[in-house]
Amino acid sequence: MAVERMNTVGQNVPRVDALERVTGRAEYTRDLKLPGMLYARVLRSTVPHARIRRIDTSAAEALPGVRAVITHETHRIPYGSGSIAGGRQYSDPHKDITTRLRYMFNAHVRFVGEPVAAVAAVNRHVAEEALGLIEIDYEELAFVLEPEDALEEDAPRVWSDGNLALDSENLPRPIGSSTGDVDTGFAEADRVFEDRYTTAFVQDAQMEPRSALAHWEGDKLILHTPTQGVSNCRHDNARDLGLADHQVQVVCQYMGGGFGDKNGSYYFDLIAAALSKDLGVPVMVELSRKDDWLGTHGRWPTVQDYKVGVKEDGTITAIQMHALSGMGPYLRRSGNIAGMDIYACENTERVIRPVHTNRMVSGNFRAPTYPQGYFALQSMMDDVSYRMGIDPVEFALKNIVRPTAEQPFTNYALDQCIEQGAELFDWAGRWNPQPGAGEGPVKRGAGVAYMMFNARLGASSAIIRVDSDARYTLYVGVTDIGPGAKTTMSLLAAEELGVPLAQVDIVWGDSDRCPFSVGESGSRTTTMTGYAVVEAARDLNRQIAENGMPEGDDVLIASATPNPSTDGKLRMGFGAHFAEVEVDEHLGHVRVTKYVTVHESGRILNPLPANDQIRGAVLQGIGQALHEDLLYDANYGHPLTAGYYGARHLTHLDAPEIENTFIETDDGYGPYGAKSVGESGIIIAPAAVANAVFNAIGHRMKDLPITRDKILGVLT
Amino acid sequence: MKAFVNENPGSIDEAVMLAQAALREGRSVSFAGGGTDLLQLVKERVPNRPGSGVPDVLVNLKRVAGIDQVTRNDQGGLTIGGLTSLTDLGANPQLRDRYAVLAEAADSVATRQIRNAGTLAGNVCQRPWCWYYRNGFDCYKAGGNQCFSIAGENQLHAIFGGGPSFIVHPSDLAPALVALDARFRVAGPGGDRSLSSNDFFVLPNEDVAHENVLGDDELLVSAVIPEPSGEIRSHFYKIMDRETWTHAVVSAAVVLEMDGEICRTARIVLGGVAPIPWRVPAAERLLADQRVTPELADSVGIASIEGARPLAKNAYKVPLTRRVVERAVLAAAARA
Ligand SMILES: Cc1cc2nc3c(=O)[nH]c(=O)nc-3n(C[C@H](O)[C@H](O)[C@H](O)COP(=O)(O)OP(=O)(O)OC[C@H]3O[C@@H](n4cnc5c(N)ncnc54)[C@H](O)[C@@H]3O)c2cc1C
Ligand code: SF4
Repeated sequence: MAVERMNTVGQNVPRVDALERVTGRAEYTRDLKLPGMLYARVLRSTVPHARIRRIDTSAAEALPGVRAVITHETHRIPYGSGSIAGGRQYSDPHKDITTRLRYMFNAHVRFVGEPVAAVAAVNRHVAEEALGLIEIDYEELAFVLEPEDALEEDAPRVWSDGNLALDSENLPRPIGSSTGDVDTGFAEADRVFEDRYTTAFVQDAQMEPRSALAHWEGDKLILHTPTQGVSNCRHDNARDLGLADHQVQVVCQYMGGGFGDKNGSYYFDLIAAALSKDLGVPVMVELSRKDDWLGTHGRWPTVQDYKVGVKEDGTITAIQMHALSGMGPYLRRSGNIAGMDIYACENTERVIRPVHTNRMVSGNFRAPTYPQGYFALQSMMDDVSYRMGIDPVEFALKNIVRPTAEQPFTNYALDQCIEQGAELFDWAGRWNPQPGAGEGPVKRGAGVAYMMFNARLGASSAIIRVDSDARYTLYVGVTDIGPGAKTTMSLLAAEELGVPLAQVDIVWGDSDRCPFSVGESGSRTTTMTGYAVVEAARDLNRQIAENGMPEGDDVLIASATPNPSTDGKLRMGFGAHFAEVEVDEHLGHVRVTKYVTVHESGRILNPLPANDQIRGAVLQGIGQALHEDLLYDANYGHPLTAGYYGARHLTHLDAPEIENTFIETDDGYGPYGAKSVGESGIIIAPAAVANAVFNAIGHRMKDLPITRDKILGVLT
Repeated sequence: MKAFVNENPGSIDEAVMLAQAALREGRSVSFAGGGTDLLQLVKERVPNRPGSGVPDVLVNLKRVAGIDQVTRNDQGGLTIGGLTSLTDLGANPQLRDRYAVLAEAADSVATRQIRNAGTLAGNVCQRPWCWYYRNGFDCYKAGGNQCFSIAGENQLHAIFGGGPSFIVHPSDLAPALVALDARFRVAGPGGDRSLSSNDFFVLPNEDVAHENVLGDDELLVSAVIPEPSGEIRSHFYKIMDRETWTHAVVSAAVVLEMDGEICRTARIVLGGVAPIPWRVPAAERLLADQRVTPELADSVGIASIEGARPLAKNAYKVPLTRRVVERAVLAAAARA
C-alpha cells in the first residue's frame, strides 16, 4: 500500500534534544554529581585463566582517601543470576538452573579484563592508585583462545564440565534449525560446493565509556547507568541483589551510544550498588576506555562451514551450515548465526555450536546474529553464482525467499530492493563479468548483498497526560541511545493527537516515572513502544471528544499496553546493498568508492535520522569488513589491539558517500506502517564489500577483516 | 593516570638541571613537548624512559623560548626548533617550497588536533607503538629482557635491522629528516652536541632499550637541515591502514638532487620497516646520474627490498615496500 502524507510524520524533524547535546548541557552518567559521592575503579585480571589463591588488599586500604576495597572474598553477588544476563525476555528460569554461575567477582577468572576487585575513594585518582596496591596471587591455568581449539579432546577447560555452551536445560546441545532434508537436496543438485568462512570479534565501540552511579534511600536503590532498557536493567539488578523490582529505580537520561548489549544490567551496576550500600554514600563506578573495551563485549567471532547444492539452472537445492561461535568464557547472548531464511531453498540445516574460550565475553552488537552470517553465506552464494556462470543479481532474484500460501508476509519488497538498487547503482555498467580482469594495479569491482530483518510487533506501554493549558506529556520507558527515540515517540504522539510537536513534552529513561518498555534492542522501539504511543493518543483523543479538554487543575490521562500481532504473517524489512571498491593490487589497499542502498522499512516516520541510521550502520559494516578485530597474543592470552587506534575503526576520510533510498509502504501494521530501521543497515555491508573485492581482484577473501596483509598474501 | 610533578622551565639549561635533580632523587623523568604521546603512556602506566618506571616528573618544554620556529641559519640551511608544532611545519612556506618531503611528512601525522599539539622533538623521540610495549609487557623497550613480538603478533614489525627488538621506528618526520641529511642538536649536562642521523638513531643490537642516543637528562633542541647544493625534488609517501589517524605501515622519504631532468644523487629513507629510519643505499645508487623513468623506478623498488628478513606475519611488507619506493621515486621526480 502506498503511504499517504501526514502532518508531522514523514517530515525531516531534527532531534528534540539536539541543542542540549551539542551545547554540552546534556548530562551523561559521568557528569552527575551527588553530595558526598565517592569514585570507584575496577581492578581486572591480567591473566586469561587462573584461580585466585590470595588477594591482599591491606596496602590499598591503607592508602589515604580509600574508603573501601571489595573482592570476591567480601561480596558474592551473582551477576546475571548465572551466565546469562538480560531482562525478562531472556529466560529467567534458565538463570535459576544454570550450573555456570558468574559472580560480580569470581575467584576463578577466565579472561584478561575480568573484574577481580573494586576500590571506592574520595576521587578517581586515589581509587586508581589503590588498584595498583592490591596484590593478587594467581594460580595460572592453561587457556584456550580459538573455538576450534577449545573443542579438542585435551583442550584446557574453561568450565570443568566442558567448553560447549549450555542451553536452557543445561545441555551442551547445538543451536540451529532445519527444513526439508539436506541429503535429498544434495542428491537433487547438479553441483555441490563447500567452503569455510570466518569472521572476527568486533567491539561495539560506542563513544561513552561506561559508568554507574548508585545511591540508596533506605532499602531502595537508585541507579544511574547508561542502559538501553531501563525496565530490563531494573529487573536484572533487582534479581541479582535479591530485591523486588520496585526497590530499584534505573535512570538513564542521556547515553553515548548503545549498539547492542546494553538492554540489561552490567556487573559495574552491582559494584556501584554494593559499595554504596556498604558505605552509605553515593558511589560512581567509572570504566576507563580500556576497561570499557575489554570488560564488556563485542560481536562473537565465527567459523562457518557451508555446503550448497545447486541445479544447472542456478536453483539452490540445499544449504547446510556447521558453525562455531566464540562466546568468551560466559554465555551472555545466544551465539546464533542468521541468514539462511533469505533463500527460498527447501532443504536447509543450521548447526551452530557456541563455544567457551578465554577471550573477552561476546555479546550483542547491532543485529547480533546477522552480519557475520550474511557475510559468510552471501560470499558463499556469490562464489557459487560465478562458478555457475550466473550474474549474482540474477542468481539472487532466482533464489530469494518469496511469500507463499503457507508463509505470507505483511508485504514483500525484497525483489524490488534488489532491482531498484541494481538500477541506481548501474550494476550492469559497474560489475565485471570477468572478476580480476584488467591491467591494474588499481582494479575496480562491484558486489551485491540483500537482506531481510524482523519488524516485530509486541507488548510495550505508553502514558499520555494533557492539562488545561493543552500541554501534552508523554511517558515512555525508552532511552535515547542514538536513533532519536525521544523524537520519534514525540512526533508519533503529535501526529495522532493532531497538535504541533512543540506542545508535547516527554518523560523518558526512568523506571519509576515511565511505564514498561522493551528497551532499545531488536530495532523495535518504534514498532512496539511507538505503537503504544499511538494507541494511548487515540484513547486520549476519545476522552477529549467525550469530556472536552480538562479545565483548571484537571488533567486527562490515557495509557495503553497493546500487544498487537501480525496475524500469522511474517513482518520484515528488506534491503539490498551495492558496493563498488577500488583495490590497489600493489599496495593491498581497498577503498569503497560507491555505496548504494535500497531499504524497505515500511513508512519512514522521520527521514533525517532514518537515513543516518542506515549510513551509520553501513560504516560499521565496512569497518567490520575491512578493518576491525581484536588481536590476541597466543602465548599469553592477552588482547593487544583494544581501542579505536588498535581496532582501526573507520574515520571520516574512510567513509564513502552512502546513497540510501527508502521504498515506502504501509502494510497496515505497526505505527502507521513503520518497520525496523536501526539494525538493517549493518547486516549486509560486510558481504557487499567482500563480494566487490572478489569482483575486483578475482580472489575470494574468506576471512574477516579483509586487511592488507591478507590481500597482498593472495596476490603475491 | 599516574600522579606526576609538572615542571615548567624557562630555558634549556633549566630544563636539563631539573631533569638531573629528579634523577639524583631516583625519580623517573621525561621531557614533554605536546604530550600527545607521553601522557598516554602516563595514563596507561607504561614506562617512558626504559628501566626507570612510569614518569614521576615531566619537564614541560613549552615555556622554553625560541625553539618553536623554523629559521634560516648562517650556513644557508634551516634550523627547526624542537618545539615547532607539526601543524606549523606542514604550513611553513620555506619547507613547502624547498623541502616538501618534511612538510608532507608533518601533514601526514595522526590528526589535526595531534599535529596542533605535537612537536618535532616529541615526534622524533616518541616511543615505539609495538602492541606489546604499549600494553605494558615488560619487554626490552620497557627495560625488560625479552621480545614478545618475535613469536607473537608481528604484522607491523620490522623487516630490516630487527633483533633483539623488532620495533619499527614510529616517527614520520624521522625518515624525512634523514633524507634531508639533517643533523640533530642535543643539549645535556655536558653542553650541546650536534649529531648526524647515523649517530643519533641506534639499532637494537647496539642499544636494545632506546631508539636514539639521548640519555635521561638530554633533550633534542633542534634539527638542522643543510643547504642543498642544487635543485632538489622530494616526496613523502605513506601507507596507512586507514586514511588518517594512524602510523605508517610503510613509508618512503625520497630526496633527489636534480640537474635538469637528470638525478645526480638520491636519498631514500624508509619508515615502518626498521627500528630506525632505514636508508637503502643500493636503491639510491641506481638513481645516480640517471633520468628517472618508470622502468628505473621499478628497479629501484626491487633494489630497496634486498636483504629484507620478514617475520612470520609481516611478509606482505616486502612487496609493499618495493611498490612504495617505486611510487615515491616517481612522484618526487615528477615535481617541477
Ligand atoms: C592516535 C595517534 C596517532 C598517531 N599517529 C602518528 C603518525 O601517523 N605519525 C607519527 O609520526 N606519529 C604519530 N603519532 C604520534 C604523534 O606524532 C606524537 O604523539 C607527537 O608528534 C609527539 O609529539 P609531542 O610533542 O606531543 O610529544 P610528547 O608526547 O610530548 O613526547 C613524546 C616522546 O618524546 C619525548 N620528548 C618530547 N620532547 C622531547 C625533547 N625535546 N627531547 C627529548 N625527548 C623528548 C618524550 O619524553 C616522549 O618520550 C600518533 C599519536 C597518536 C596518539
Ligand atoms: S618488538 Fe620491541 S617493543 Fe615490541 S615486544 Fe619486542 S622488544 Fe618490545
